Amino acid sequence: MNVELTGIQRSFGKNKAVDGVSLELGEGVFGLLGPNGAGKTSLLRVLATVLPPSAGEMRLLDLDPRGPAARRAIRRRLGYLPQNLGYYPSFTVVEFIEYFALLKEMPPAAVQKAVAVAVERVDLGAKAKAKLRTLSGGMLRRVGIAQAIVNNPDLLLLDEPTAGLDPEQRVQFRALLRSLGETATVVVSTHLVEDVGAACSEVALMSAGTIVFRGTPAELTARGAGHDVGDAPMERGYTAVLSAARS
Amino acid sequence: MISPNDQGRFPFGDAGPADVDLSRVWTAVTAEVWRRQPGWIERTAARLLRSPGLARALVTTPSLLLPWLISTVVAFGVGALVSLGPGQPLVWLIAPAIAAVGIAFAYGQGIDPAWELSLSGAVPERMVLLTRVAAVFGLNAVLGLLASVASGAAAALTFGWLLPMTAVCGLALATAVAARSAAVGAGAGVAAWVIAVLASDTASGRLTASVTSAGAYLPYLAVAACCAAIVIYAVRPERGLQ
Repeated sequence: MNVELTGIQRSFGKNKAVDGVSLELGEGVFGLLGPNGAGKTSLLRVLATVLPPSAGEMRLLDLDPRGPAARRAIRRRLGYLPQNLGYYPSFTVVEFIEYFALLKEMPPAAVQKAVAVAVERVDLGAKAKAKLRTLSGGMLRRVGIAQAIVNNPDLLLLDEPTAGLDPEQRVQFRALLRSLGETATVVVSTHLVEDVGAACSEVALMSAGTIVFRGTPAELTARGAGHDVGDAPMERGYTAVLSAARS
Repeated sequence: MISPNDQGRFPFGDAGPADVDLSRVWTAVTAEVWRRQPGWIERTAARLLRSPGLARALVTTPSLLLPWLISTVVAFGVGALVSLGPGQPLVWLIAPAIAAVGIAFAYGQGIDPAWELSLSGAVPERMVLLTRVAAVFGLNAVLGLLASVASGAAAALTFGWLLPMTAVCGLALATAVAARSAAVGAGAGVAAWVIAVLASDTASGRLTASVTSAGAYLPYLAVAACCAAIVIYAVRPERGLQ
């Protein structure tokens, strides 16, 4: 298992953003659904080792991230796209991706080729030498995805990766996700249920910091039977599970 | 290895040889075309620090970028030219404040746009912080000393401000990382330095007493040590984003 969480909690003052989440994830694409404020981003930050849990046990890639050496080893094999991608406006696409490849301690000799592969995978070859300040929101999102996958991670964490992408790019991105999920654990946080249906082998729905549903996209869709809130079958399942959790 | 045939031609047409992966060739070519040549500072830093990632993080330090450097040089130049009295150029007064501001703006949330991403990197945050702070401090110390020497200040003034500068920079950095605000850190550093200068002046009747009085050295060292401890605690890995 690449991800093993037992009773993970994360509090900010009195507010429990993540409240006792337990998960075991192997290879594949795992969708994390939920309304705003459900705790998806906090859980992803905990998994990315940038936010320590307040309580609970966690093992990532068979290592305990509490130890500095283990945390460093995990981060070398980790890809992370935060919800808000901060970037250096004067950097080019290649410079930005290369910077994070170096921060992930990739062997310097392998960096250039890895950057080229990542740029091609997100279809940004034509903009490789463009300054980040000149790119659109969707292109910047793809730059963020490229830096996340540059080290060919075993654990890939993507927070709202399709935000700002046009429909054609989203279709391409879902194909990329499926490809990445063949050899890695990919966790995708989103509020777009169609992304989950198209790309994820498994899905969890979070509400108020807890996981209220876990199963396949088909199982989530089945929960919507007889429920009339939502335009698509999986949306009906989503709202049905949320309604049940809140009541 | 592909060999040419009897006519000296390679045995493939427009589509390329069947056993050559053109996508790999393309990737190799693009990698070469897009290759960035690091500057000499980055190459030297990578060798010294034994980490290309840390070297790259160093050259992206906000308070080492060209506009900031130019304004620092101008400020020290003005400090060298303007005197409070005979043999009393302003360098000693402005050096700690300039360095404190530069160090507060060296690294952290709100200063480094990609800070959250950097935190998820394998290069430890503490190392990035330490490297950047050392670089900013070193550069400001060298520029300040050059300005002092060029201004012809007395030896006590030329070197006297190095210790208070250490204490003020420590305070600015500790405040910045604890408050997670560079502006607050810079404000604290500058305010503390102004208070120290005015208090020394009031107590001794000499404006330069804050840098020339040997009695102040121990308190400066104590402040610097305490602030270093606060910084180490504040950037402990367990703290993360909070």
